[in-house]
Amino acid sequence: MTLETVMQVALGGLLMGLIYALVAAGLSLIFGLMDVVNFAHGEMMMLAMYAVFVIWSMTGLDPLLQLPIVAAVLFGLGVAVYRGMIGRALSVQFNRGMVQIFVTFGLAIFIRGAAQFVWGGEFRAVTNTWLSDRSLNMGGVYLPLPQLAASLVCLAAFAGLLAISRTEFGKALEATREDREAVALLGIDRDHIFAMGWGLGAGAVGIAGVMLAGFYYVGPNVGASFALIAYVTVALGGFGSMTGALVAGVLIGEIEAITAAVLEPSLKQIGVFAVYLAVLLFRPRGLFGKL
Amino acid sequence: MDRRQFIVGAGALAGVAGSRAAQAADPVVIGVVYPLTGNGAAVGLDAKAAYEVAANIINNTHAPIGVAMGQGGGLSGLGGARINLVFADSQNDPQKARAEAERLITQEKAVAIVGSYTSATGATISQVTERYEVPYVSADNSSPSLNQRGLKWFFRTGPHDEMFTKGMFDFLADIGKKTGRPAKTVALFYEDSIFGTDSSNVQRKLAAAAGMQVVADIRYRASSPSLSTEAQKLKAANADVLLPSSYTSDAILILKAMNEIGYKPKAILAQAAGFQESAFMQGAGALAEGAMSRSSFAGDAEKLRPAVPIVNALYKAHNNKDMNDNTSREITALLVLADAINRAGSAKPEEIRKALVATNIPGSQTIMPWAGVKFDETGQNTLCNPVIQQVFDGVYKTVWPFDLAAKEAVWNVGK
Amino acid sequence: MDNSILRRRRHELIVGAVLLVAVALLPLPIKDVYTQNLIIITLLFAGLAQAWNILGGYCGQISLGHALYFGMGSYVSTLLYVQAGLPPSVGIFFGGAIGGLAALLVGWPCFRLSGHYYAIATVVVGEIGYLLFLNWDYVGGATGVYIPIAKPSLLNLQFGKDKLPYHFLVLAFAAATWLAAWLIEGSRWGYSWRAVKDDVVAARSLGVNIFSSKMAAAAISGFFTGLGGAIYGLYVGYIDPDSVMAGHFSILIALPAVLGGVGTLWGPILGAALLIPLKELSSSFLGGSGRGVDLMLYGAMIVIVALARPQGLVSLFGRRRDGSA
Repeated sequence: MTLETVMQVALGGLLMGLIYALVAAGLSLIFGLMDVVNFAHGEMMMLAMYAVFVIWSMTGLDPLLQLPIVAAVLFGLGVAVYRGMIGRALSVQFNRGMVQIFVTFGLAIFIRGAAQFVWGGEFRAVTNTWLSDRSLNMGGVYLPLPQLAASLVCLAAFAGLLAISRTEFGKALEATREDREAVALLGIDRDHIFAMGWGLGAGAVGIAGVMLAGFYYVGPNVGASFALIAYVTVALGGFGSMTGALVAGVLIGEIEAITAAVLEPSLKQIGVFAVYLAVLLFRPRGLFGKL
Repeated sequence: MDRRQFIVGAGALAGVAGSRAAQAADPVVIGVVYPLTGNGAAVGLDAKAAYEVAANIINNTHAPIGVAMGQGGGLSGLGGARINLVFADSQNDPQKARAEAERLITQEKAVAIVGSYTSATGATISQVTERYEVPYVSADNSSPSLNQRGLKWFFRTGPHDEMFTKGMFDFLADIGKKTGRPAKTVALFYEDSIFGTDSSNVQRKLAAAAGMQVVADIRYRASSPSLSTEAQKLKAANADVLLPSSYTSDAILILKAMNEIGYKPKAILAQAAGFQESAFMQGAGALAEGAMSRSSFAGDAEKLRPAVPIVNALYKAHNNKDMNDNTSREITALLVLADAINRAGSAKPEEIRKALVATNIPGSQTIMPWAGVKFDETGQNTLCNPVIQQVFDGVYKTVWPFDLAAKEAVWNVGK
Repeated sequence: MDNSILRRRRHELIVGAVLLVAVALLPLPIKDVYTQNLIIITLLFAGLAQAWNILGGYCGQISLGHALYFGMGSYVSTLLYVQAGLPPSVGIFFGGAIGGLAALLVGWPCFRLSGHYYAIATVVVGEIGYLLFLNWDYVGGATGVYIPIAKPSLLNLQFGKDKLPYHFLVLAFAAATWLAAWLIEGSRWGYSWRAVKDDVVAARSLGVNIFSSKMAAAAISGFFTGLGGAIYGLYVGYIDPDSVMAGHFSILIALPAVLGGVGTLWGPILGAALLIPLKELSSSFLGGSGRGVDLMLYGAMIVIVALARPQGLVSLFGRRRDGSA
């Protein structure tokens, strides 16, 4: 294997890893806040991608310009899902853990059916945008522009989440995460925090979806392909840790790429899973997990 | 009344009685099993449209179309009986396909089943039809193993992967001879499903027989988030011909992935599937230019098959897209089945089976570029030779066999 | 045990027996093949959900990777028949044994993981199993394995078009898992698990060896799941990784137990009786349009039941019967 090949593979892994990281970030945020694993996370991303496709086909607006719009729409969706469903799921007396899993799971199936209902089963693609199909040639190693933009946006989003954590609201989020019961004494409306948390988490995955639409196809089952990697990323990084999501995402992106290069590509996910299980043996709560 | 009035009167009565007999002929129920939800839904819904178009051709009154059962007006051999299609969703799940086929036979009283796109569902459906002694006409299952199980009630109108792949390698030999620049190396790129496995197995075998070296043998995970490493492996191998066996989403992705790293294979010769779908054309755009694919259907062979533009217009009016590799085979399958039922003059499954065995439709009576439809003792049509097509300006044009070709192939190997 | 518990347990046995006879007699009035098939699939999932319940409900370890045991049971039994000629009437128990063994191997490292980490670990293990089988030519890989159509025989558990024998086979399977759950509920293990779920520290102080009891639950759960997988392979006549080992199957096995009521005796039965017919019927009669309406219905129903009855559908029939408040 030439140096060029190695570098290309490593670069591809890094770019993809940052996207995994952003998808995982939203999931980790929600979990860290209220102990809920959102099994409809992949489907929310899928909706974001469809939103991009619809807006693009109606107005020709480049996905990059759509970022604020779609992120806001997904934020609203996250809040709506919380208020409509999750809030209720949290207040049940029995089997809270399982109820959440299966409520979000049922939601995922519903969204998948709804997507097919509205847009049909056909695969769509957003084409001929500013960056689509363009690559930068750096002496034999190619840097695809849509993925580069996606990586930069992902890093920016992480920076944004970090900035939010420094604000009043961010501190309230942290406090709620630390001690759910006590925050009411501090005058923090827990319900409101949870709703905002869901909004943020959905918004984050929405941003990932917008960037993904720049180079990936759009279909009702797209969420499922990314979902499993997202959960493993969150678990590897540690539920509730943003740093963990970032590190784990990049790690998984690289492991996947290297396994595909060294072994049969159809086994590349096994490489990721094997590493994940190995890490769990030594750190049962993931790399940076606190909960 | 005088004799003339009597004869006229009798004739009129006979006419009325005759037409009442035609109206009284029960419709013939045919079950159709396809993935209508889930991963294969796009193809399944197109198939549904194709069968509806074929049923209209058989049932409705219209100007005769130059194909078997193209005269319309129902099944003349059964007093003008109409074909009634009942659709069922397999969800690409073999268990579901089996259950639905059983339901169609026992509840809906289907006298034959047509299906089913994926070979896994074709496997279980044909097991059911064998048990219930009802014909199964495989319109588009391409796994070679399906007709090798000693089944009496299995009939496949279209080619299987061995026939398709043989066509591909015959083309490679021909174009090599014609241009003096034969392909010497191939890269196999196939997804980890039955389709990919069957396709690559035959390709490996035939490449060895043709003395071509397999410089890359890549089995990839279907519906992966990224194919960049796989593309890098293909780029490093730099084969003369890339032989992909992929469905639509992966077909789009691999072309994009190769483009991203600045690689364009000298020749792409696809095992159809995703490469023949309109969604692929839309998604891959300019990147698909020059790609070749095997096909059972030549949409541009109007001179050879004048019925093609007529049937295509009907399909386009119904589903807003042109006929392709899959939908043309599906239409053909129903027409062949209807032809058999017509010749049998009966809706009894055993009679239909006998008529299917005796099928001998010349190619000119179909919309396909085939020599004809004739089943061997395993139920396989042996006269369905495939063609090779190439993308010119976003449209597939037939380039082989050379005497059928609408355009001359663009061959960049060795340049 | 005091009298009220004994009475309750006897009551459960009686209800179980009555139900058994009733379901056994169902094929008499019902001759329609589609409905017979529906009943068979429902019974199979009732058994599978109950098997899952033993580990997930009673023992509290939410496994989302049970398809691994199902698939392995399927493959072992099928391959033993196709390659070694071992009659399936014996082979299905080998399938069960492998399922149990696999569950032990998975449980051993994974039981020390908590809550969500355990769940994700089981998903990952399931996926690894799926990918391995998909890429392993010896077991047929993606091509799968056909079960050749043979003459009807009890030894080979093949019965041509006749659904009745399968009905009884699957009914026996469901009854066996129910009985296993009933026995466990009244056993020392059952009590210790309830203790553990309520208060881990206190349970440990009582000398309850949690780990070995969890391993036992895993083995039993895995055995029955593998057994069910073997029977399923025989019934459908063809298996491949996508149909018996894929992740969505794991969810399908757990769902009836969760919605019906985890850790209860009747929850999985009730859940299967509601979910499976709903899923199959909506897919058969709404799926044909290809608009995804059946998926929407199925998903919505899961959400509604989970929210409206978080303790499971059994709660519609009175208090929880596992002794908790």
